[in-house]
Amino acid sequence: MGSNRLRTLRALVACALIVLGLGACGTGSGGSGSGKSISIWEGYTGAEQKEFTHLVAAYEKANPGVKVSALYVNNDNTLQKVLTAVRGGTQPDIAYLYGSWAPNVAKIPQVVNLTKVVAKPSVNWNDFWVGERDVATVNGRVIGIPALVDNLAVVYNKTLFAQAGLKPPAASWTWAQFQADAKALTKPAIKQFGTAYVTPGSEDTVWHWEALLWEAGGQILNSSNTKAAFDSPAGLTSLNTLRTMAVTDHSMYLDPADSAYANLFNSGKIGMLVTGPWDLSAFPNVHDGVQVMPQYPGTGAGHQTISGPDNWVIFNNGAAQVSAAEKFLLWLTAPAQAKAFSLATGDLPTRQSVASAAGFTAAMNAALPGVDTFITNLGNVKQARPQIASYPQISQVLGTMIVSVLLGKSAPKAALDQAAAKVNSILAGSGS
Amino acid sequence: MSTVDLAKAAPVPASMRGVAGRRPRRWRLPFSPWHLVLVPATIILIFPFFWMIVTSIETSSEALRFPPDLTPHVLRFTNYGDALKAAPFGRFFWNSAVVAITTVISNLVFCAAAGYAFARFRFLGRGVLFVLIMITLMVPFQVTMIPQFLITKWIGVNLLAGAGIGHIGSLIVPNAATAFGVFFLRQFFRTLPIEYEEAARVDGATRLTVLLRIVLPLSAPALATLAALTFLDSWNSFLWPLIVITSPNEMTLPLGLATFQGAHSTQWTLLMAGNMMSLAPMLLVFLLAQRYFVRSVAATGLAGT
Amino acid sequence: MATSTAAGSRRRSGGAPGGARNRALARSESLAGWAFVTPASVIILLFGAVPIVWSLVMSFQQNNLLSPKTPFVGLQNYRQLIHDPAVLSATEHTIVYTMLFVPGTMIVGLFLAVAMNRQIRFIWFYRTAAYATMAISTISEALVFIWLFDPSYGIVNYALSLLGLPQQQFLNDPSQALGVVVVMTIWGWSGFAVVIYLAALQGVPKELTEAAAIDGAGRWATFRRITLPLLSPASLFLAVWLTINALQLFDEVFLSTQGGPLGATTVVVYYLYVQAFQNFSFGYASAIAYLLFIVILVATAIQFRVGRRFTYYRS
Repeated sequence: MGSNRLRTLRALVACALIVLGLGACGTGSGGSGSGKSISIWEGYTGAEQKEFTHLVAAYEKANPGVKVSALYVNNDNTLQKVLTAVRGGTQPDIAYLYGSWAPNVAKIPQVVNLTKVVAKPSVNWNDFWVGERDVATVNGRVIGIPALVDNLAVVYNKTLFAQAGLKPPAASWTWAQFQADAKALTKPAIKQFGTAYVTPGSEDTVWHWEALLWEAGGQILNSSNTKAAFDSPAGLTSLNTLRTMAVTDHSMYLDPADSAYANLFNSGKIGMLVTGPWDLSAFPNVHDGVQVMPQYPGTGAGHQTISGPDNWVIFNNGAAQVSAAEKFLLWLTAPAQAKAFSLATGDLPTRQSVASAAGFTAAMNAALPGVDTFITNLGNVKQARPQIASYPQISQVLGTMIVSVLLGKSAPKAALDQAAAKVNSILAGSGS
Repeated sequence: MSTVDLAKAAPVPASMRGVAGRRPRRWRLPFSPWHLVLVPATIILIFPFFWMIVTSIETSSEALRFPPDLTPHVLRFTNYGDALKAAPFGRFFWNSAVVAITTVISNLVFCAAAGYAFARFRFLGRGVLFVLIMITLMVPFQVTMIPQFLITKWIGVNLLAGAGIGHIGSLIVPNAATAFGVFFLRQFFRTLPIEYEEAARVDGATRLTVLLRIVLPLSAPALATLAALTFLDSWNSFLWPLIVITSPNEMTLPLGLATFQGAHSTQWTLLMAGNMMSLAPMLLVFLLAQRYFVRSVAATGLAGT
Repeated sequence: MATSTAAGSRRRSGGAPGGARNRALARSESLAGWAFVTPASVIILLFGAVPIVWSLVMSFQQNNLLSPKTPFVGLQNYRQLIHDPAVLSATEHTIVYTMLFVPGTMIVGLFLAVAMNRQIRFIWFYRTAAYATMAISTISEALVFIWLFDPSYGIVNYALSLLGLPQQQFLNDPSQALGVVVVMTIWGWSGFAVVIYLAALQGVPKELTEAAAIDGAGRWATFRRITLPLLSPASLFLAVWLTINALQLFDEVFLSTQGGPLGATTVVVYYLYVQAFQNFSFGYASAIAYLLFIVILVATAIQFRVGRRFTYYRS
């Protein structure tokens, strides 16, 4: 019996080895070198996934012999996967990377410099929104082609506004009105809040505030990105706005895990949310309206908002692969495909010509009510966050500053000064 | 109590018979009083599953509520079908199964051998080797994943193509034996009374025979536990497959489920349906393993120990 | 008796009569030992130890994971580490977390395992429920607990209000957030402790416990004097394993609080993840990992030392 068992064990181990050998099927990663097959890592789900697959099939049909292999990687995880792959020389031809990573991604030697490519008239580089172009360009080098654009605006619950006897926000509204509306919409007895803010201290916390800072006429860093510029009257104003709502009026729901606020709004518990177009389809249960960001009167900054574009980045796997990847990307981001993608998914148009095309905005709004405001709001994007490699560290400092004010742990002026000192030392220490 | 009640009652466990029967009975429940402890405890343990199940059978507009309402008005069992159709889940399931089953078998084989040696044999370098093995547990994956990736790539190029980057083997080979398995079985083997093994050795059995015919049968609960835990670990593994898999053909179930989680929006109903379906094999494995949770021969007493 | 001869022959040293036979025995035992451990060791060390040495080398470099240039900078990363207040507070949080989590999980697991160590109706369901908590995806676990502890809408605050106790801020309160993570992870790991203790309880001979009962020992005394000592190897295993994992906590923090609020739940591995993949300071992250490695090594060594005195093996 012992030898039988031994034989069984040996057989099992042999099976395992055979399976391993059989597992040698499918390579998937691009770099066959001939340009016939390009690999692309993207994080499209749902409607985006369907439309992307559709476009890929159309491209393959129009270019017989060329295969585009897509691999789904959740966008949050793409950086880790790309960095590991780059170390091992198994990087894809194209990857979808967050714009906030651009200043650091630009340092990867395998990233292709697209400056000459996008300068070609057929590409019409200036057709992309300025926020996108700013994020795709690092130190004068274009390292990506815009894949996505968005911006922040205010989504509000029409029913709650009516119940509170408030007029819906007008396009010229101010932060004082936002604050007053939030206060009027807050009803502790039924746990209803006027607005919400996310407080994990991550970039999500920071970029919402940066929009206010810009609206108050302030800047994050000075023009040469060598010193903090947010510890200014504008910085104080913007922080005070948030503090009044969070600490004084208690009209702000604080979401520590960045997960509940959207569902809360959809459950009719929040009056107004500062969020982006991606959330519009997450509110099926409420009657919502969209309005541009409020302004601080007298600053001249108007209803400026902030945008978070993402990039398609090309990696160098040989000249043939690069040129095949460039060809595909330029086709994918051409006006015709950009328009098709936007219409099918509700994502904002990455090109200005598409946004101003006749009937486009109306068609978009018919499919996703409220998105027209987000489209026109793209015109309110005047600048981007500092495109420097140390921005992530600066963001962490800013996040701590904002959260400590929101939780009532520090006064805005002290928090600003402390954060500015830290940011200055970060900037002094880093090279770029 | 009447015989009818006794017949309905749960069988009184052996450990409570005898002595309990001699005490005067005040009041007796028709079931073991331990249920009163286990039911609330179990509710706390499986509460999140209520949420998962409810989310998996409701419409997405009802799923997008906070606080979550566990009483949906409209049920949508088609979520399960939709989830399966959204991506080639049959393939993902097969890949996960191949990886998990192979990993469990290889772990049982390799870790039992190594654990037994660490528990019973004296050999030069035993202590150092065991420490080295334990040390591999002490550095987080975020730091070791890049070197592991490079080693896997090297193996794929130089040793065994099926174990290289992008192949299923790369999910199996690095986990074919784990420090957890070795540590766990070493501890367990040390608790077995050595007399049986010594007796067999004196009778002329080889060490391998002792392991296979005496120790392993006595270790059924531990082996079943290791099998269940290894299966679970392999089935749920996400970060390593994320790093090494390069084509949808080799994706495993957790990677497949991630396709429901976008950067900005998640399809919760489909994700939960997928999660529930992914859970089923793990629970099945555990139910099977439970059959080995019986008192081993050693526990029935060794006279004079 | 046969057993004492076998045991005796192992204890004799090489110089006594029969030394050659003993040396042969010892050699064959050595060979057998190495033969048995080699397959597992090769795999574990190749994929475990080599990367660790590699990471040690990386900790002496300035490595941003982007460019292949990784200049050697000696102890600079370690010096930076010592002067980084965030590392100190992350270490503090990690240690506090571990000291709450490990005993908590062991106690809950032991209690449930003892409860589930009987053949009553539905026992298979209760045990599977415990195991299932390990199978649940971390994101689902995180979402449910975030909901339960929501200051405005969560059940915990609702229960507190019913009991007349003040409402807490939980994840919005830097002094409570780590506690919420402790509760969430104890819940997530108690199934593991239950499974381990259940396996170990099968090795407790019921004759011993019954004999104690007949001798008049109460249930608690039996448990303390007989069951617990016999479970001590499993307890040592659990303590070591849970500690190693607790000191490397990451997923639950990443999926819920992201180190907040105000860094209250930033544990060492989360901090090094931020350094590696947000700040692109991979050399620094490796150095932090090595600091953690030393802490884990020391903690494990202490547990084994102490455990040697308190664990009871029946051989």
